[in-house]
Amino acid sequence: MIHFLPQRKNLVFFKNLLLRQIRQDYLENLTGFAWLIIQPLVLLAVYAFVFSKIFQARIPESGGVTFLPYLAVAFWPWAAFSESIIRASGSISGNSALIGKVAFAAELLPLASVSATFLMNAAGYLAVLVVLTLIGAPVHWLTLPLVIVLMLFWWLLAAAIALVVSTLQVFVKDVAQILPPMMTFWFFTTPIVYSAEVFPERISWLMNLNPAAWFVGWFRKLLLWGEWPSQWPILLVPVVIGIAFWLALRFFRRFAGHFEDFL
Amino acid sequence: MDTLARLENVSKIFPRVHRPGERLRAFASILTGSEPSDGAKVLSDINLEVFRGQSLGIIGENGAGKSTLLKVLTGVIQPTAGKVTLNAKVAPLLELGAGFQPEFSGLDNVRMKAAILGLDWDELKHKLDDILAFADIGEYIHEPVKHYSSGMVVRLGFAVVTAANPELLITDEVLAVGDESFQKKCIRWMSGFLERGGTLLMVSHSMYHVQRLCHRAIWLHNGSVRRSGDVEQVTQDYLAWHEQRSVAEKKQRAAVSGNDGHYRVAAVDLEGAADQDAELPVIEDQLRAEVGLYSPDGRMPVCLVGIERADGTPIYGISSDTDHICGAQYGEHQFRFRVEFSVSRLLPGRYHFKVHAMDPEAIRVCDTHDLSFQVRGKSEEFGLVRLPYRWLTSEEDASD
Repeated sequence: MIHFLPQRKNLVFFKNLLLRQIRQDYLENLTGFAWLIIQPLVLLAVYAFVFSKIFQARIPESGGVTFLPYLAVAFWPWAAFSESIIRASGSISGNSALIGKVAFAAELLPLASVSATFLMNAAGYLAVLVVLTLIGAPVHWLTLPLVIVLMLFWWLLAAAIALVVSTLQVFVKDVAQILPPMMTFWFFTTPIVYSAEVFPERISWLMNLNPAAWFVGWFRKLLLWGEWPSQWPILLVPVVIGIAFWLALRFFRRFAGHFEDFL
Repeated sequence: MDTLARLENVSKIFPRVHRPGERLRAFASILTGSEPSDGAKVLSDINLEVFRGQSLGIIGENGAGKSTLLKVLTGVIQPTAGKVTLNAKVAPLLELGAGFQPEFSGLDNVRMKAAILGLDWDELKHKLDDILAFADIGEYIHEPVKHYSSGMVVRLGFAVVTAANPELLITDEVLAVGDESFQKKCIRWMSGFLERGGTLLMVSHSMYHVQRLCHRAIWLHNGSVRRSGDVEQVTQDYLAWHEQRSVAEKKQRAAVSGNDGHYRVAAVDLEGAADQDAELPVIEDQLRAEVGLYSPDGRMPVCLVGIERADGTPIYGISSDTDHICGAQYGEHQFRFRVEFSVSRLLPGRYHFKVHAMDPEAIRVCDTHDLSFQVRGKSEEFGLVRLPYRWLTSEEDASD
């Protein structure tokens, strides 16, 4: 039986884990809280320089949108996604002091890790959007509520993947080495630094099966053009991602009681 | 009766996980829900119930599966087969540091542990001062736990548990750590906890603690329940089994070395038992014994006799050699020694009268024999024997 309704004590525990994770990963660095905003902006400046000055990258769609906002709006959600999965993949093996010593809902470990990364990146994303507006890019702030809703599903997808990879890493230690290049591969097969229209006709259907491509496309359409998504996948998103998460949670719980044997 | 926890036909197999292939096989067996093909069977077919107000002790040798049993019971690990039901607010105190993360500060770990035990933020805020006072580690609370001494870790762990106000407290030989004054604090808290109707499930090698704190006991042997029931019965059976085993080991050694075993204890008789019908001979003031020793070569063996407590703690012993006593010789091979002990100073309880036959040079113990007896009575004293004492009055103190 899978219980979706979290118990009260699990909520308290989750909150603890989340705050600790944020503190550990972000706030206790020498550089402190300021980096949270500065780092994405520095990164943005680097990308702006590399792609628009060196590569002279252009995008097919126009409407007053230049390459920099086109990249930035897609890049931050991806960064949150990829970073959260990679960080969370070690959340079981990294917490062996808890696993096997006390009884608790172990799925909270990867979930808290993913959530912490998403929250921190959301702060950076907001900073980037503000800067884009200031430099004159057409950011459609009114679509923000829908962006947030989509972001929640984007987070849920990351959580589902994190549940599976953090389980796998307990059994197959090589996952820690395999995962980052796989995420890089996923990054380049997703239209983030380029436009989806560069795909040849023959394989574009295949590329459209990539959920990351859906989300990236929607974030761009909403924030830069203010267009509401009309493609069919958006109706499927809650269903597909909901099922994926449910399966991932079942998978995780099947193994959760055995982690200690393998750590 | 109100059942707090129940295990039904619980088994646990630890799969082999050293080589990558073995890990993958174990992974597959969990995925398909089948039993691991090979591995160490740590628990087999355990059934037990914990009732409210009836504390349960779990005893057994090292490696009998006691700690694994507790982990299965608390839900830290899943059994390979069988069913675990928990019906109570449980606080486990399984090992040193029970789930503290070394990198984080004590306070941080307290928060985390309290959340795991089911305390929410408001409750914790109320109880934080109590916890810190109980742990009594001062400013160290802000240091990472990795800098703590083991005693401090246990203190902090125990302090959080006291705040959680559990119905069932599960401990695994934790009280053995910590300094004297903290141990006393723990025992005091534990007594209060039991008086308030709390239930204890403890693993311990100290039969004294088990007998004192528990009503029922379970003896685990090689992963299965060897005996369960009333605590006195089970602990006595367990101790008797240990005794027999060490005797058997000695006999085995003697048989192997070949040279020993010549000098034997042929007979031991206790005289002076007051109540002939009792299960064990009851000795009142004088313990009188007649010991027959066998000597293969006609030389007089050395007779070593003494008294030890039921758990094997020696109390007093003497030898015919150091006392220059000669036994009476009967026939060519038999020697008889008679001895009388005054046992009126022993506190009530069970004791062994122990006889060793040594070679005439008093170098080797060749054979051992013991008889149990009991000293009856009521006593409010502690320890083994009565020592002469008197309380000093305050006037005497002042004159010092």
